[in-house]
Amino acid sequence: MPALTLDHVVIAVYDLDAATEDYTNVLGRAPSWRGEHPKYGTRNTLFRIDNTYVELLALSGAQGDKRWSGELQRFLEQRGEGLYALALGTPDIRSTVNEMRENGLEVMDPADGHGIDLATGAERAWRNAMVAPKGTNGVRLFFIQHLAPPEALAVAAPVDDEACVRRMDHAVILSADMEAARRVWSDVLGVRLALDRTFPDRNTRILFYRLADITIEISGGSAQSREGIGKADRFFGLAWGVDSIEKMCARLTAAGVETSGPRPGIKPGTLVATVKGPATHGVATLLIEHTPQSFEADARQPQRGAVDNAPQQRAFTATGLDHISVTTPDLIGTVMRWASTLNLPVTQTHDLPGEGRVARIPAGNAYIALTQPAEASDIAAAMADRGQGMHAVAITVDNIDEAVRDLRVKGVEVTDPTAGRDPGTRIARVSRAATNGVPLILIQHD
Amino acid sequence: MLTKVHHVGVVVRDIDASMRFWRDILGLPLHKLQAIEEQGVKAALLTLGDSEVELLEPVVTDNGIARYLERKGEGLHHICFQSDDVERDLTALKFKGVEMIDQQTRIGIAGRICFLHPSAMDGALIELCQPLDEYGALHPVSFGDSDRGAG
Repeated sequence: MPALTLDHVVIAVYDLDAATEDYTNVLGRAPSWRGEHPKYGTRNTLFRIDNTYVELLALSGAQGDKRWSGELQRFLEQRGEGLYALALGTPDIRSTVNEMRENGLEVMDPADGHGIDLATGAERAWRNAMVAPKGTNGVRLFFIQHLAPPEALAVAAPVDDEACVRRMDHAVILSADMEAARRVWSDVLGVRLALDRTFPDRNTRILFYRLADITIEISGGSAQSREGIGKADRFFGLAWGVDSIEKMCARLTAAGVETSGPRPGIKPGTLVATVKGPATHGVATLLIEHTPQSFEADARQPQRGAVDNAPQQRAFTATGLDHISVTTPDLIGTVMRWASTLNLPVTQTHDLPGEGRVARIPAGNAYIALTQPAEASDIAAAMADRGQGMHAVAITVDNIDEAVRDLRVKGVEVTDPTAGRDPGTRIARVSRAATNGVPLILIQHD
Repeated sequence: MLTKVHHVGVVVRDIDASMRFWRDILGLPLHKLQAIEEQGVKAALLTLGDSEVELLEPVVTDNGIARYLERKGEGLHHICFQSDDVERDLTALKFKGVEMIDQQTRIGIAGRICFLHPSAMDGALIELCQPLDEYGALHPVSFGDSDRGAG
């Protein structure tokens, strides 16, 4: 399949003239094109920069194809101004659409489009194909193949050559369902995943996808919440490469656009500044200046405790929580308390020779084992020592023999695997010296 | 309604040292590390399948975690159940006369939380939590800390 590029980004705006003036300030460039789409019922302003172009899109008030103007109107009414769509460029839209359909994406048939520059009368033509947002985790995408040569859209002339945006660095999408986003971008769109990194101290995981020299950054929580599954992704913002953050900030300030001022970026060797206020029309906007240092190998290492999520070769995997053992001298009383207080009823009780009587309380992904220890049992001794209540944790592993061997290699004391209390299980107990005092049981279900 | 065990809480003396076992040897991915100053603790959440292990280190000497460590040493501290509506569950518990540590929910590392008093559960310390809105806590790393609210 032809490699995709980020052909352009579309920003939905209410007032095209005001937005054009603001983006002329923000980008430091005069528009390349001010035109209209008679077929769609929309007007636009384009700014071509080195590696992509920006389209400000507004309703024209004229009658057009409701599939375009109606959707833009709904977006503006429901979400307000902001990033509206990404246009993925292809040199062969027919084969791209076919390939995407084979990958399960719902894509409209390619359709001809054309635009007219109101100032010069110049025309440009293209073919594009909209993607159904339900197949892209809610992000609006379309494929585009330009029929006009690239020079038909001139590079936007700098207002100040030392203080203008040169290129797009990255576009940011927020995701509550990172695995769904990964499936869309890796498996369906086939874009190269350059980095999958977790920042624990920021509760953030990022996926970096590369469309030529532009990065699509998908940012989500470091752990997948159940509530986030199936939620739609959202556009967040754009980051622009500049030659001099200092000169950009000075020019913007003089033009009445508020910035955060220069500061070091997260990536070593970068300087960044945020553009604030209404001038960006709902698009979070970051300016980035790369120095030569930012391209060195050190700058590619994880920063500030970040962890790359490349699959590691491990001897075993801890796959989940099996149960938590809670002790009580009065099983019936405690069972009633759990049922009446937390609405968690017991489903099964049984005697364990030498250990005591156990009541099992299912709790979704694990169960609570309320345990009344037998006299003179180890559990009774632990209860006497630490008091009744929290006692032990059992976690499931995929291969208990490998887990025991691996823990021992790493100096952790652990018992040989033996048959567990449930049929088809084998367990091993890890020394409390290694586990911060937690009686820890490894369990493998056949 | 309680939907699952969100995490088990473990009190430790030194979170960084305890990572050697829980993260490096057991292989649980660390996905959140946070100092909660108003509660005087440093907390780490490590992923365990669809549940988590929470490590808690007291950074002051006069809170419940510090007293627990002083009295009992390191060890298993609490079970946290995920709730689909922690406010409603807290109201129901108070209506039933259940003794609570928290009379109102508060924000913890796991989201909006409240603790039952251990005497209410025959010695077991139980926490309820409702994770925060998935987007609410999100902010792209590349945009940095001072960019919240940008655009």
